[in-house]
Amino acid sequence: MIRFSRTATAWLLLTPMMTIIIGVVGYPLIKTVYYSFTAAHLAAPGTTDSWIGLKNYIKALGNSQFLDSISNTSYFVCVSVSAEIILGVLVALLLNQKFHGRTLLRALLILPLALPTVVNAMMWRLIYAPDFGALNALLTQIGLIESYRSWLGDPDLALSMVAIADVWKNFPLVALITLAALQSISKDLIEAATLDGASAWQRFWNVVFPAILAPVSVALVLRTIEAFKVFDIVYVMTRGGPADSTKTVSFHVYQEAFAYMRIGSGASYALIVVLISSFLIATYMWLLKKQGNTA
Amino acid sequence: MTGLSLKNICKSFGDLEVIRNVNLSIDPGELVVFVGPSGCGKSTLLRMIAGLEDITSGEFWIGDKRADHLPASERDIAMVFQSYALYPHMTLAENIGFPLKLAKLPAGKIRQKVKTIADTLHLDELLDRKPGNISGGQRQRVAIGRALARDPKVILLDEPLSNLDAALRLEMRAELARLHKQLASTMIYVTHDQVEAMTLADRIVIFDKGEIAQIGSPLDLYNRPANTFVAEFIGSPKMNLFPASLHQTDRNKAKIRLKNTTYDLDTDGLTGDILDTAITKNRGETIKLGIRPEHLHFSSEGGLRGEIRNIEHLGSDTYIHIETEAKADVVVRSNGISALRNGETVGLIPGPGMGHIFDQQGIRVT
Repeated sequence: MIRFSRTATAWLLLTPMMTIIIGVVGYPLIKTVYYSFTAAHLAAPGTTDSWIGLKNYIKALGNSQFLDSISNTSYFVCVSVSAEIILGVLVALLLNQKFHGRTLLRALLILPLALPTVVNAMMWRLIYAPDFGALNALLTQIGLIESYRSWLGDPDLALSMVAIADVWKNFPLVALITLAALQSISKDLIEAATLDGASAWQRFWNVVFPAILAPVSVALVLRTIEAFKVFDIVYVMTRGGPADSTKTVSFHVYQEAFAYMRIGSGASYALIVVLISSFLIATYMWLLKKQGNTA
Repeated sequence: MTGLSLKNICKSFGDLEVIRNVNLSIDPGELVVFVGPSGCGKSTLLRMIAGLEDITSGEFWIGDKRADHLPASERDIAMVFQSYALYPHMTLAENIGFPLKLAKLPAGKIRQKVKTIADTLHLDELLDRKPGNISGGQRQRVAIGRALARDPKVILLDEPLSNLDAALRLEMRAELARLHKQLASTMIYVTHDQVEAMTLADRIVIFDKGEIAQIGSPLDLYNRPANTFVAEFIGSPKMNLFPASLHQTDRNKAKIRLKNTTYDLDTDGLTGDILDTAITKNRGETIKLGIRPEHLHFSSEGGLRGEIRNIEHLGSDTYIHIETEAKADVVVRSNGISALRNGETVGLIPGPGMGHIFDQQGIRVT
């Protein structure tokens, strides 16, 4: 019988999984890096070998549409993530109080999270619909607007409206993470602070907030990474319009690579997005490590 | 230094009454220990004094100020929690100085006060560390330091030593006794450990099912327990309680009959009219005779006969478990190492004046 050392056995057992990872992740990644240095075009056979060096990157960084999409994405990330964090923390603080129906509310909180993004996007498209949407009906009836508006047709409003739909779906994640952190705070700490003379705000600021800071930071970075990659909700709700006002970087990459079939430059855009995402992921890892150290 | 006064204090959670009609006065500078088994209401009463639980009915006074409607933060009471409740993100200096920071004292004064407290509690080398990086005993000291920082009127300690190992508990007990002598502050200490209660307290309050069973100095409780609950709770091993009957032999003397054995018992205070009343009230009834394990002695002739079932050697003492006709498990505490063996038959006699007589309801007869 053949005997393997522990290390050899480990490698042997890992090989099938590593083969799959290399095939599914490694190969496409290397191919994408390669394409980003070529003028590859899906509709032009033979262009995959046309090496053009850094031209795609130089063009990408000078492309006003791409820079606009970065700006749109940054706005989307700032608005949606900050709203999700604020709303999530407030809802978690509320659900951490004792009241009748708390368990039901906690269960309901999961619902938006469980909804597929496409369904959420369709639902909000219906809410925003300019002729029969619930939002127009509500705002008209309470007198905030005089006539029905096209919320997703206004370039100044469209991205904010998409962000609201995204916030509704994703704030429960922040709320759940915060709620878990709040429940881990010892009741004794709050009571000790009360006896030390702390007001409700001082108890929150000096005891509760430091205890939830690390988990909320992790939620913040996770949501930032996700929001930066936003694609599906934009695709379903606006297709990047009107007038590219909701075009995000992922949508730009999609258009460049699959609508205009410019695989080469699409790959370069994608890798720039990966670079930015990597920076966010590095921040996430650093926060996780920091959280581990303080636990 | 301020005293406390509790008048007819009751506490209910819905239909469940957990504290019943507690009346207690605590003198300024006194260290009072609340002791009792788990669930007897001692911690709930402490939390009511702190303001962390509402009082259902009754009055609570701090000095000459009624305080039962004051919020916890306005009672000027500090508390040391069983879990220490140190703020994990703050250094030890910040933890101790936190109440002073909330009181908006200047930073210089806070630093000075923290240093003084740290010197008293031997924490001066550790002030920059966080609670996660110090030992249980040191955490305990920091928790006490934080309680002392504001110079509160009253310090409450809720089972502060229960998370420490035996050696550290002994050390901290001595430290607390020293601290109380040094500060002379009014303290209420909650524990279920009767040794802590006996060694630390000026007075002990024993709780049983939400009511005060007895209040007194440690030796009062040991020498004159008011009922069988106190008699069994104070003292280790617990008091032996024998079913017995009481008979008067003359004006100042009583005989107690245990099964077939009759003893002339020199019962302190049980003479004259008191004895007459006791005999009249308990005539023909079964009473309880309590004798502490350390007050039972071996006798080669007569006494209550029994067979040794188990011997526990503690080094300094020996606990001998004896099966007798009067009671299945009688415990005798003997000094040093006993030469007795399992299975031996021995006679037991109580030391003179060492019997405690309780009526059928378990109330002391005198």
